[in-house]
Amino acid sequence: MIPLVLYVLLASAMFTIGLYGLLTQRNGIKLMMCVEILLNSANINLVAFSAYLPNVNGQVFALFSIALAAAEAGVGFAILIVLYRLYGTIELDNINALRW
Amino acid sequence: MYQDYAYLIVGLPILAFVLTIFLGWHLPKGGGFITVLATFAGLILSLGIFNEIYPNDEIVHQSMHWFSSFNAGILIDPLAIVMLLMVTFVCTMIHTYALGYMEGDPGMARYFAEAGLFTAAMLGLVFSDNLLQLFIFWELVGLCSYLLIGFWYRKPSAASAAKKAFLVTRVGDVMFLAGIVLLYTNMVKLNLTLPDGAYLLQFQTIYDSLTLIPPDQLTWIAVLLFGGAVGKSGQFPLHVWLPDAMEGPTTVSAMIHAATMVTAGVYLVARMFPLFYAAPNALMVVAYVGAFTAIFAATMGLVMFDIKRVLAYSTVSQLGYMMAGLGVGAAVGAASVGVSIFHLIGHSFFKALLFLCAGSVIHAVGTNDMREMGGVMKHMKWTGLTMLAGSLTLAGFPLTTGFFSKDEIIVTAYEHGAMGFGWLPYLFAIGAALLTAIYTFRLWFLVFDGEARSDYHKHESPWIMLGPLVILAIFALFMGMPSQESFYHYVGNNFDHFGVDFEELAVIGGHHVEHGHVSEPFIIKILPIIIGVGGIIVAALFYSRWKRFDPGMVTSEKDPLRKILLKRYYQNEIYTLWFAEKVVYGIALFSNMIDLKIIDGAVNKISAISVGFGGTLRKVQTGVIQNYLTAIVLGLAVLMILIELASMGVAI
Repeated sequence: MIPLVLYVLLASAMFTIGLYGLLTQRNGIKLMMCVEILLNSANINLVAFSAYLPNVNGQVFALFSIALAAAEAGVGFAILIVLYRLYGTIELDNINALRW
Repeated sequence: MYQDYAYLIVGLPILAFVLTIFLGWHLPKGGGFITVLATFAGLILSLGIFNEIYPNDEIVHQSMHWFSSFNAGILIDPLAIVMLLMVTFVCTMIHTYALGYMEGDPGMARYFAEAGLFTAAMLGLVFSDNLLQLFIFWELVGLCSYLLIGFWYRKPSAASAAKKAFLVTRVGDVMFLAGIVLLYTNMVKLNLTLPDGAYLLQFQTIYDSLTLIPPDQLTWIAVLLFGGAVGKSGQFPLHVWLPDAMEGPTTVSAMIHAATMVTAGVYLVARMFPLFYAAPNALMVVAYVGAFTAIFAATMGLVMFDIKRVLAYSTVSQLGYMMAGLGVGAAVGAASVGVSIFHLIGHSFFKALLFLCAGSVIHAVGTNDMREMGGVMKHMKWTGLTMLAGSLTLAGFPLTTGFFSKDEIIVTAYEHGAMGFGWLPYLFAIGAALLTAIYTFRLWFLVFDGEARSDYHKHESPWIMLGPLVILAIFALFMGMPSQESFYHYVGNNFDHFGVDFEELAVIGGHHVEHGHVSEPFIIKILPIIIGVGGIIVAALFYSRWKRFDPGMVTSEKDPLRKILLKRYYQNEIYTLWFAEKVVYGIALFSNMIDLKIIDGAVNKISAISVGFGGTLRKVQTGVIQNYLTAIVLGLAVLMILIELASMGVAI
C-alpha cells in the first residue's frame, strides 16, 4: 500500500502548481485549467483519506466535486467563448472595460 | 365699541388685497370698489374710535404675545388717530378717483390689489405699538411702493424707477434696522423688570427707559432711526428716488406723496420724538437736514417742466418742512410734534389734491410737459379751480390750511434761532416758502392760464374723478382754520399719555427748558404772509396773462445757475456715474474677486484635495483578479505562520 504521505505530497504539489498558474497566467483557458488542477488536488486528498480511514464519505464527496467542476468548466468556457466573440481575445488583461 | 374692531382698519384692506388679486379679473372695474369700500370702512372705524377716545383724551392699547420678548399690538394715541384718519380719508379719495383714472387699464385688478395692500401697510405702520412691528409694515410699504411705481413694468423707465426707489430707500431701511438692533441691545443691557404685558420694543417701554440708556448711545440710535426716515421721506441726500417715482400712475404718486410712504418717515421721527429729544444733537441733525432739503428741493421745483416733477420736488420740500418742524422741537419741546404733524395732515390733503388734479389734466391733455399745455382752464373748469385751491394752500395763502401749518413751522424755527440753537433752519424755511409760492403758481399759470401751446385733447374728466377733487379741495382750504389750535394741543400733548417727562429728557439732551414762549416781533409773524402772497404775485408777473416780465429777462439758456438747476445739481451724475459706477461698481468687482478667488477658491481646493486623494487611493482596487489572489495567498500564509508560531508557544 502506498503510504498516505505520498498522496498528500502529490496533492500539495498539484495545489502549488495550480496556485502558481493562477497567479502568473493571463490566458483565460490556462486559468480554467489551473482551477481544475486545484480542485483535483483537493479531490486526491479526499479520496486518499477516505481509503485510509476507511470512510466512504470522502469518495462520495469527491464525486460531487467532480460533477461540480464539470458544471463550473461548462459555465466558465461559455463565458470565455462570449468574451472571445466580443473582444477577439481571451487575454484577461485586455478585457478591462469596467476597470478604472 | 369701535375700538374692539381696531384691527379691522388694517384687516379690511388686506382682505381687499386678497380678494382683488384673486378675483379682480372677474369683477367689473377690476374689483376696485372692494378696495374703496375697505378703505372707507377703515375711515368709518377710525372716526368711531376718534369719537370714543377724543372726548376723554384716552388712548387705545391692545397687545398680545408674539414670540420670546416681542409682541404684536395696536396703539392708538392722538398721534396715531390723526394719521389713521388722514390715511383712510385721503386713500378713500384716491382710490375712488382711481376708479375713473385707471378705467380701461388691463392691470386694473393688480392696481387695486397693490393699492389696497399699500394702504393696509401704511395703516399698520401707524397703529403699531412696538418698533419691530412698525418696521415690518415699514418694509411692506417699501415693497408696495416698488410694485406700484413699477406698475407699468413693461416701460423700462418705470422698471428702473421702481428699482431706484427700492434700492435708495433700502439704504435708509438698513440704517433703521441697525437703529432698532442698537436700541434693543441697549435695552437688554438695562435688565429691566418689565411689568406684565410689557415688552422691550414697545414704545411705552422705550419712552420709560430713555433716561437709563447712555446719552451717546441715544444719539447713535436717533441718527440711525433718522437715517431710515431720510430714506423713506425723501430727505437729502436720499431724496433722489422721489421725483423718479412719477413713473407710476398718477394716483400712485398721489398715494406715495400724500398719504402713504413718505409720511412714514416723518411719523417715525414724531413717534420717537422723546428719544430724539433726549439724544444730544439728534434734533439738530433733523432740523438742519430737513430745512436744507426744503430749500434744496424748492430750487429744483422752480425750473422743471414736467408737471408731476414740479409737484414731486414740492413734496420733497414740504417733507423737509415737516422734518425741520420736528427738529426745531429742541426749542419748544413736544409741541413741535403737533406743529409738524399738522403740516403733514394738511400737506397730504393738498398734495393728494394737486396730484389728482395733475392726473386729471394729464388724463385729458395726454402729456406731462407744461410747455405743451396752457389755457386748460377754459376746458377743465373744475380741475382748474380745485387745483387753484391746492396751489393756494401749498403756497401758504392766508387762512388756508397750508398757511397755518407752514406759518407755525416757520415761527417755531424762528424761536429755535432766537433761543440760540442756530438761525439756519429759519432762513432756509423762509427762503423755501418764497420759492414754494413761486413754483406753485408758475405751474398753475403755465397749465391753466394763457393760450393753448399745442393741440391737445380738450375735455373735462368724469365726475368719479372730480368728486374726490372737490372734497379734497374743501379740506385743503378750510380744514386748518377751525382745527389748528385744538390739533396742536391734542397731538402736541401726545406723549403725556406715556408719562414722558420732557424736562428730565431735556437735561440729558442738553436743551434748556424754556417756560413760556419767546415773543416774536410782529414782522416775523406777518413775514410768511408777505412771502406767500409775494411769491404768488411774482409768479403772476412772469407767467400769467398779466405778465409784465419774461423769464428770459432774469435767466437765459446759458445761465450757469439755471443749468445746474435743470441738471438737478448734477445729482444723477454724482450718484449714478460717479458713486454707482465708479465706487460701488469698483467695490462690487473687488468683492466678486474675493468671492471667486478666496471663498470659492478655498471650497474648490478642499474638494480638489479629496478628489485627488480618492483618485490615488482607488488605484489599490486594480480590478486584476491575480492581484487580489496574491494578497489572499500572502495573507493566508502570514496567518498560517502566526498560528504555527503560536502553537509552538512563541509569544506574539
